[in-house]
Amino acid sequence: MIYGKMWCVVKPSVGIPLFLSAVAIGSFAVHVALVTNTTWIKDFLQGGKAATAQSQSAPAVKK
Amino acid sequence: MADPNKVWPTGLTEAESEEIHRNLIQGTQIFGMIAVLAHLLAYIYSPWLH
Repeated sequence: MIYGKMWCVVKPSVGIPLFLSAVAIGSFAVHVALVTNTTWIKDFLQGGKAATAQSQSAPAVKK
Repeated sequence: MADPNKVWPTGLTEAESEEIHRNLIQGTQIFGMIAVLAHLLAYIYSPWLH
């Protein structure tokens, strides 16, 4: 397997946490950037359309 | 690299190193497949890219 011998010179106790941390921090950063730089994710998670539908039907209920 | 029983500075032999690497690659592939599935579901059920 390509690069299979890298753990002969890189300590797994250093290299594996480094690799996993890089993946975790990288993917987290991408998702934070998406949430902070777009509007549709917040709207989607808020359930805006369902709330709008409820608010439209709410006046009818009040009558 | 000729001696397969040589213990390298990390305390591993080449066979042990290859074994660790195989498992790491397999874990990465499983993570990748789960991530692809999650993105597919996000594409289908959210306004993402629509």
